[in-house]
Amino acid sequence: MQTLVAARNLRKTYRGRAVVDGVDLELRRGETVAVIGPNGAGKSTTLDLILGLKKADAGTVRFWRDDPLGRIGVQLQQTPFFPGLSALENLKLFASFYRVRLTDARARELLDTCGLLDAAGTEASRLSGGQQKRLAIAASLVHDPELVFLDEPTAALDPKARREIRMLIGKLAKAGTTVVFTSHDMEEVHRLADRVILIVKGRIAADGTPDALCAAHGVDGLEELYVKLTDETNGEVRS
Amino acid sequence: MNLTLLRTMTTASLRDRISLFYATLFPLGLFAGLGYYIDTPGYAPRLMVGTIALGTLFWSMAGQSFQVLQQRNRGVYKLLRVAPLASLNFIWWMILARTVLGVAMNGLIVLAGALLFGIRVTAAGLGCGLLLLIAGSLSFTALGFFVANLAKNEAQVNMISNLLYIPMVFGSEAFYSLDKVPSWLAAAGRAFPFQYLVDGLQRTLVHGETLPAVPLLMLVLFTAAGLLLAAATFRWDEHQPVIGVKG
Repeated sequence: MQTLVAARNLRKTYRGRAVVDGVDLELRRGETVAVIGPNGAGKSTTLDLILGLKKADAGTVRFWRDDPLGRIGVQLQQTPFFPGLSALENLKLFASFYRVRLTDARARELLDTCGLLDAAGTEASRLSGGQQKRLAIAASLVHDPELVFLDEPTAALDPKARREIRMLIGKLAKAGTTVVFTSHDMEEVHRLADRVILIVKGRIAADGTPDALCAAHGVDGLEELYVKLTDETNGEVRS
Repeated sequence: MNLTLLRTMTTASLRDRISLFYATLFPLGLFAGLGYYIDTPGYAPRLMVGTIALGTLFWSMAGQSFQVLQQRNRGVYKLLRVAPLASLNFIWWMILARTVLGVAMNGLIVLAGALLFGIRVTAAGLGCGLLLLIAGSLSFTALGFFVANLAKNEAQVNMISNLLYIPMVFGSEAFYSLDKVPSWLAAAGRAFPFQYLVDGLQRTLVHGETLPAVPLLMLVLFTAAGLLLAAATFRWDEHQPVIGVKG
């Protein structure tokens, strides 16, 4: 499989504390990768370093092409939208960030994919939390990216909204889009991810398919693996 | 793409009802009410200029501050950093949309001046006034960016803006002559672009002068200084500290 992103020895320190401490990771075409770990472990910072939203103190990130930005979609933990504009208008505006002219038909198709067709004309600020999150995901897809980063796409959502977003991630993966997402829900990770990267204290504590990782560590599921490795690394992190 | 940006930013600005109220209805009401109440010869033209300048200040500075703050706190600028569109390009179209609308709104006040008080403005005066308005709008917009960069939330935008509005408006000849105000207040007014806009508009719209050099030059200089301040303090996201200011 083609390597889309290769990060080597990424490091980031805040006030003397290493938040990302020598992370090496590769993202390959067609994979659905879950990045998991405790709060403050460095998951979002690692993604920010890869995307260039934060400057690394050390390390390198290589992409599969020289101009990757137009082929990458990003959904941040914040739900960006422009007050005063409808869901449809917001999508068109976000498409212009990628120099894409989004037709009404394509915008509606995208909203439909994200379960927002009924809310196309609703002002974005009036959408529910789940709908805003879905709009943020739709905005990350306006340019048909090859690689999508979704930062906690199902956090703080009700079960129905979570289910809809999981289905959406499943659809993206099926369509061949490479998806990287962060999550605290191990059941969700097991269901969606081909590969799991566990980050603890700024280092990669585990990297592999869910089944292989569970077998290697002698545990029954990802939740047990998560607890075991984060407990173990109370002292030292495995590499 | 740029047309999409201009159209959607214009739509978003037009749906910002609070800014619209302060930039259109409030100045129009102020102009009509005070114009009828203070029936002194020659006062209505001064009032028209003051109202235009005040509306421009509210629309370009306050409106821009709130818009930038909202967009930054919602992560729009972070998203822009991972998109091919240059942030400056986006900011330029946002400013242009606001400036075009601001100029159109001020057209309503000039029209009200003609209809309610019989104020006649020459074509040359209108043209030069337009140039000054654009320069004034840009300088206030740059200040609006600066205020939004310093503030973390809406309350702080209000506080910082008020600190700037008070010397700007009270230290200007927008609504009264500065002959009888303390000299320090007049000096404070000259430290901001507002008085230069008022002065320039009075010369062009009221007295029919063409291209008053000093006000125009001062507005251009204030715009340049404001842009430098805005660029030096620009923050991509709300957690990023202001450069040089511990936050």
